[in-house]
Amino acid sequence: MSQVKADLLQGTLDMLILRAVSLGPLHGYGIIQRIRQMSEEMLNVEQGSLYPALYRIEQRDWLTSEWDTNETGRRAKFYSLTRAGRRQLKIEEESWDRLALAIAKVRQAT
Amino acid sequence: MEWFNVISARLRALFGREAVISDIEEELRLHVEMETEANIGRGMTPEEARLAARRSFGNPGRMAERAYEVRGGGIVETFWQDIRYGVRSLLKQPGFAAVAVLTVALGVGANSTIFSFVNGVLLRPLPYREPGRLVLLDETAPKRGVNAMGVSFPNFEDWREQNRVFEDIAAYNAGSYTLVGDGEPEQMRGARVSSGLFEILGVAPTMGRTIRAEEDRPDNDTVVILGHGLWQSRFGANPEIVGRTISLNNRQHTVIGVMPPDFRFPEVADLWIPMALDEQRWTRNDHGLDAVARLKPGVTLEQAQAEMAAIAARIEEQNPVTNEGLSVSVSGLHKGLVGDYRQALLILLGVVGFVMLIACVNVANLLLARASARQKEISIRAALGAGRWRIVRQLITESLVLGLAGGALGLVLAVWGLELLLAAIPIEFPFWMKFNLDWRVLTFTAGVSLLTGVVFGIAPALQASKVDLNETLKEGGRSAAAGAGHGRVRSLLVVAEVALSLVLLIGAGLMMRSFLRLQHVNPGLNPENVLTMTVSLPRAKYKEQEKRPAFFGQLLERTRALPGVEAAGAASNLPLSGSLWGRSLTVEGRPVLSVGEAPMINYCVITPDYFRSMGIPIMTGRDISETDAKDALKVTVIDERLAREYWPEESAVGKRVRFGPPESNEPWFTVVGVAGEVRHERLDRQTRKTVYVSYQQIPEPQMTLTARTSSDPAALATAVRARVKELDPDQPVTNVRTMKEVVARSVWQPRLYAILFGVFAAVALVLASVGIYGVMSYAVSQRTHEIGIRMALGAQARDVLKMVLGQGLLLALIGIVIGLGAALALTRLMATLLYSVSASDPTTFAAIALLLMGVALLACYIPARRAMKVDPMVALRYE
Repeated sequence: MSQVKADLLQGTLDMLILRAVSLGPLHGYGIIQRIRQMSEEMLNVEQGSLYPALYRIEQRDWLTSEWDTNETGRRAKFYSLTRAGRRQLKIEEESWDRLALAIAKVRQAT
Repeated sequence: MEWFNVISARLRALFGREAVISDIEEELRLHVEMETEANIGRGMTPEEARLAARRSFGNPGRMAERAYEVRGGGIVETFWQDIRYGVRSLLKQPGFAAVAVLTVALGVGANSTIFSFVNGVLLRPLPYREPGRLVLLDETAPKRGVNAMGVSFPNFEDWREQNRVFEDIAAYNAGSYTLVGDGEPEQMRGARVSSGLFEILGVAPTMGRTIRAEEDRPDNDTVVILGHGLWQSRFGANPEIVGRTISLNNRQHTVIGVMPPDFRFPEVADLWIPMALDEQRWTRNDHGLDAVARLKPGVTLEQAQAEMAAIAARIEEQNPVTNEGLSVSVSGLHKGLVGDYRQALLILLGVVGFVMLIACVNVANLLLARASARQKEISIRAALGAGRWRIVRQLITESLVLGLAGGALGLVLAVWGLELLLAAIPIEFPFWMKFNLDWRVLTFTAGVSLLTGVVFGIAPALQASKVDLNETLKEGGRSAAAGAGHGRVRSLLVVAEVALSLVLLIGAGLMMRSFLRLQHVNPGLNPENVLTMTVSLPRAKYKEQEKRPAFFGQLLERTRALPGVEAAGAASNLPLSGSLWGRSLTVEGRPVLSVGEAPMINYCVITPDYFRSMGIPIMTGRDISETDAKDALKVTVIDERLAREYWPEESAVGKRVRFGPPESNEPWFTVVGVAGEVRHERLDRQTRKTVYVSYQQIPEPQMTLTARTSSDPAALATAVRARVKELDPDQPVTNVRTMKEVVARSVWQPRLYAILFGVFAAVALVLASVGIYGVMSYAVSQRTHEIGIRMALGAQARDVLKMVLGQGLLLALIGIVIGLGAALALTRLMATLLYSVSASDPTTFAAIALLLMGVALLACYIPARRAMKVDPMVALRYE
């Protein structure tokens, strides 16, 4: 599958990050991997855009972070979803669905 | 644990830019490592892997910076930024900054000065052990309306014996003692104290010991404790002082101890001797002592009051003649000592609070004007993404900087102001009143500075941040829209200023009027050119009663012989000097009343010619004369009020009166003369009537000399002193003052209030005038365009003047009306401080209103004239 340019709008990247973390706490690198995995390699988040987005989301208290060690014993900062973040994820996904529905209607109309 | 992570992340971000950056850097580094590993897994060499990882990341340094920007430095970092920005922008406009800082400094300075004073008097705890547990005891006669009678010795002993609420009670009595030896004979201030007093206070001597119970008896009381200052100054800080004997009032006392520095209980005492009173001389009727006690642990003030009232009732039952109607009051020591001043001090605090408000209004106006000028700058910041809250925060931070700068300067002014204030108060402060800048004053100053920063900053900040981006960023944006909103707020501020100033000015006016009225009160004597000095003969030395009048008789003879002396006499209690002697009066032929109902008069022992030296007229009969000797008929001169009260239709001469408790066997005194009324206790109202007796018949050891001179009385002081020394080289004199000084000193409080109110009101007036001028000035400059149009459309210069003046005066008028209302409500609070002036005195109110109107007129006139001179062509061209 060809990769979609992940020069995504700010809001969309936030939604993907929240989605990825909703399945369990992850560090930054792990978030990129999981997004790649979930999208079956179609979405590859730019490393340069990841951390600013992560910090911004953390500032809004949708994620919290904690230093910990992973299975291989390496130290990393793990991000997990807060309750507010879970709610925000729901809001963003609903709004994305509505947008997709609207666009689909426009495309179908002749 | 989620909230915990959120909070700790916030806290971490708050403190330390470095901590946050290194945290970010570590996270990024680890990310790169993981990517590197993955690359190796894809088959690259370690070096290639690392390079590829880094490259896909971009520049790590810049990444960290960008990341940091997003994460933000937290509140502390932005706060610091705001402060730096604020300082820079203030420095760019030094004129504005100077005026604003000075204004705040005036307000804060005045507040801190008064607060330091109030702190020293009311707030600082007394320097004793657990001072909150100490109480002041006093006898009261509630039915007679007397609540500070003084304690009598037998009553005190009964209290000590019968109470169960105090750890201990001690009585004390301040007095003066002649100290002879080791230098010039000197009159020292000291106190007689019960044994146990120092233990009650919890202050231990630095050398030696305190008074033992067995030394507190008339036959065994020849000990003395020295104060630290006295020990140093007179005895050269002699370490062997304990055990030495010194001569006090012609008795030898052994020094048993020295107290620590800065201890002069009760107020300014330098030595302490045992109370050692005997019940013969100090009867239940002699109320001359004070008493202090320490509450037992767990006992409340109310419980103690209830118990003492019960004890007093019991004593009254057992001693119905002497103690009828007497009770006891128990009050916290600090409150008991200064409670009377609380009201005046609180009023003063209120007054400076007003001054601070006016200063705030002025600075708020200045900031508003400045904010209008900065509209463009603020709009740019908003356009660049600063939220409204962020801008408000920055503007308020600037105000806080102003506030603190003004506060720092104000503190300096306060130090100076406090010195001036203390210098203007002629009394000697009790040792426990300390007026220095302690932590309370500094906290107060800092708090007021910050608070005023917020108060004057908030309105302008909110106004300024309300930007309509389109309007102001347009080329030539004249902030017309913002101007309207600002204008309303500024008008409101002017009205507030005028109202506040009016209240202060009226207060000042009332105070000054009151003081001037007081100055014109006739005290009943002529204080011009009269020298006074007090001579206190030690009882032990002048034990034979005849020696005392002999001394004074001779002294007066010699004094009269001095050149320039027109008349000389002496009295045991000098009017308006605080010296009083109260006794009960019984009039022959009138019903004998109980001691509780017998009138209290002012009892004064005088010499012949005392009346002449003081300019007190003798209405009928004669003065005391030398023939009124020890064994002659006992005579008295009464004052005209007394004569009129008891013998309104006939002459009082020849009638007889008696002093002391009604049933006593005191001798009858025959009235030989009636003297004019004298304001003996206080200048502002009549108090007790005065009765005079002959010094030969009542040989008082302490008399105050009064000498009327033809020229400057002070010049005579040395000569009179020399006469005293001639008669007794070991006899010191005290309180050498002219009568004018005595009278002036007796009204030091009303004078001080008048001065303080006057100063603060003047400051307020200046601030208000500057404020009005500034606002009108600015309004005119903003409306130049509009004025130009009006003039182009045919308005005359006169019309423009009328328009501008009219608007300014309308604001002033509204402010005055509001101010009058507020003043009516508030001056009621100071009614007790006024003499012969009503708190709603219409003359004062009207005069001040007119004054302020005049000042407002002047303040508006100058900008109005400028408006008149607007050239319509220039105004229309100006965008």
